Amino acid sequence: MQIIDTPVVPTGSKKSVEAVAPQRGKFIWGGRGIRYLLVAPSVILILSFTIFPILYLFWISFLDWTFQRRERPFIGLGNYIQVLQDTRMWEALGHTLFIMVVAVSAELILGLLLAQVLVGKLPGKQILIPLLILPTIMCPVVVGYGWRMLWDTQYGPINEVLGWILGHPVNLVWLINPKTVYFSLIVAEVWQWTPFMFLALLAGLSAINPELYEAAALDGATAWQTFWHMTLPLIRPIMIIALIIRSLDVFKIFDLIFALTVGGPGTFTETITFYIYTLGFKNFRLGYTAAMAFIVLILVSTATTLFLRRFSEE
Amino acid sequence: MNWKIHSVFVISILALLSFGLQSYGQEKSAADIAVEAAKKYKGITLRVIWEAGLQAQDPIVFSGPLWEKLTGIKVQTIETPFPELFSKIVTAHLAGSGDFDVINYVPAWQADLVEAGALEPLDDFMNKYMPPGALDDIHPTYQQWLVWKGKHYGIFDDGDTFVMYYRKDLFGDKANQEAYKAKYGQDLRPPQTWQEWDQICAFFKERLAASGGHGCAIQRAAGQTYPWVEEELRVYGAKFFDPETMKATINSEAAIKALTDMVNNNKNMPPGIEKWSFIEVFSAWMDGKVAMIISWPPPGRWSQGYRDRAEQLKWMPETKVIGKVGYALPPGGHPELAAGFNLGVSSDSPNKEAAYLFIQWLTSKEISLQRVMLPYALRDPYRLSHYESKEYRSQWDNAGEYLDVLKLGAEKGLLDLAIPGAREYEEALDRAAVAAYAGTPPKEALDKAAAEWDAITQRLGVDKQREAYKEWASRPNAYPR
Repeated sequence: MQIIDTPVVPTGSKKSVEAVAPQRGKFIWGGRGIRYLLVAPSVILILSFTIFPILYLFWISFLDWTFQRRERPFIGLGNYIQVLQDTRMWEALGHTLFIMVVAVSAELILGLLLAQVLVGKLPGKQILIPLLILPTIMCPVVVGYGWRMLWDTQYGPINEVLGWILGHPVNLVWLINPKTVYFSLIVAEVWQWTPFMFLALLAGLSAINPELYEAAALDGATAWQTFWHMTLPLIRPIMIIALIIRSLDVFKIFDLIFALTVGGPGTFTETITFYIYTLGFKNFRLGYTAAMAFIVLILVSTATTLFLRRFSEE
Repeated sequence: MNWKIHSVFVISILALLSFGLQSYGQEKSAADIAVEAAKKYKGITLRVIWEAGLQAQDPIVFSGPLWEKLTGIKVQTIETPFPELFSKIVTAHLAGSGDFDVINYVPAWQADLVEAGALEPLDDFMNKYMPPGALDDIHPTYQQWLVWKGKHYGIFDDGDTFVMYYRKDLFGDKANQEAYKAKYGQDLRPPQTWQEWDQICAFFKERLAASGGHGCAIQRAAGQTYPWVEEELRVYGAKFFDPETMKATINSEAAIKALTDMVNNNKNMPPGIEKWSFIEVFSAWMDGKVAMIISWPPPGRWSQGYRDRAEQLKWMPETKVIGKVGYALPPGGHPELAAGFNLGVSSDSPNKEAAYLFIQWLTSKEISLQRVMLPYALRDPYRLSHYESKEYRSQWDNAGEYLDVLKLGAEKGLLDLAIPGAREYEEALDRAAVAAYAGTPPKEALDKAAAEWDAITQRLGVDKQREAYKEWASRPNAYPR
């Protein structure tokens, strides 16, 4: 079936030249030109709001631009060299990767468990699923402040409940104590984003043909064998996409850090985005911050590209 | 003869008129002059950036509407939470947006804001409109904030000083006095050293435990713990920099001792004190749960039953300490003059003169007195006439005692470090303190902060910073005298 109703003219003939080349006006209003015109506003918008700021940021990264000085001299790669020697940045990257690996793994495992439980027919499933995804639709900073109250030493319900269980008052300073602060952060992160993983995996599991399970059962496969050798490979593509989305998102973690720990105690939970925010929007070291943002962008893009390439090859 | 008498009469009348006019001119206050001069700008709107919340109620409810009534100039208040105030001022300036006409800023930021070109020098306006001697009434300590590198950039407007509030009833209780004497061999009195503070905290922690109370409280949450560190470091004899090399000396023996004592103090404060900010300390105090706190001036007023004086204060917990509050300088006797506010004119403002006149009017003797007495506002006394005001001294039973302590605090107090990069230095010190509260050895935390300070100094230029530091350190209230 031909969707676009255009006259089919043999190429090379005189008629074809007359039919295709002729009308300039038709090129604009009736042919390919109109398409360009129609997409032009979007392209201009994208260029204005995305490409231009990135190029401008790139230019700033070569300037010694701080708010305290009115001159902004060009210093070449000076900012990049300094950033690479900035131990606080590497520490912040380390903290970010740690949160990312632990939180996303936990979200994957919990999300998969939930999806497995809810993939079949279950009474009340239609009520349960919307309830489960509620945390995901909440604003992260609200989640942060909510958990801040939950973890509160004096008035927080978590210490209160632990006190009931243990039979004596519990005064854990969850968000300051180095032994508990990451746990507190990751619990909040996992609480909010496990439902996303669950939804993605539930979609993957629901798409598996039930006949495959019947066949596996007929072949005498155990539940574990079915899960390991059949379910997991089948949902692998969707799992990898969910992992990439969540990893990139956790890499940018900011709101929870802002609300719960402000990067502290000291710089113990400072993540890369929080450090960039501090440098850029509190200390206004704009050239330096731009250079750091670019280095991080390169690192993330490289990691994502390598991951995707390996996945595609497989 | 008649001619002579007539001439003498005319000359006398002229002399009297001239004297009268002169006197009239002299009697015109800074507020009157500002109002008269500002009338020519009738119809414009001044945009003022102000700390959000109770602070902003002053221009929104009181001074803004009054200024509009007097001059026809509208005032639009842009409320901004304190942690974002500096960023918003700088961002607007970098963007050249002219978003604000009047800038409400912490004096310690003045050096940075001047270097950035965000503040307009006020000298020409002051020469034109400020009556001679009109600023002499500002407490001499706070006058140190008006000038940077020989030019006026702001007029001081908020006399923040730390005050120790203690429970007179608990300290005066005979059983407490005897128990304290028996335990420590000393009289129970408001603490005068940090060691004594800690001892009394431990004592009351034990005494009040049965009623769910604690010994004492000071806010320790990240972000605003640095003024306490700056104060204690200097009370213990530490200095911020070596004035010759500009190497940071915040990791000296004295500084380490000060921070170590602060960490140890936390043990006698309520559990979780490391996350307590102003509001938690204030709530515990109002609830009668602590025997002593150190905080800014407003809790001293509010704990005397200010809640019912204004709609804006209805959210407050009801005070259980009314009539039981004693005021004193914090241990060491040199309170931090933490933050405070200056009012300046934005260099990007299209209405600079009108903005200046508004500031002159706001900070004038008579208007500022009304403002520091507003029950809901957070502006604290800073003029000598505020401390002596009979009206203020009659606001509650021992309001005079309160004002005397605020005045003494201003006299003995220590200025925040105010050189270019002040905020970065403060943040590094704040992080070090919070890390130490969390268990990092104080020496390690301060060594790290000192390294950060050195990096900031190197980046901003050692010579430039040395010059700024010497100027700051030469002020009478930079270090304890």
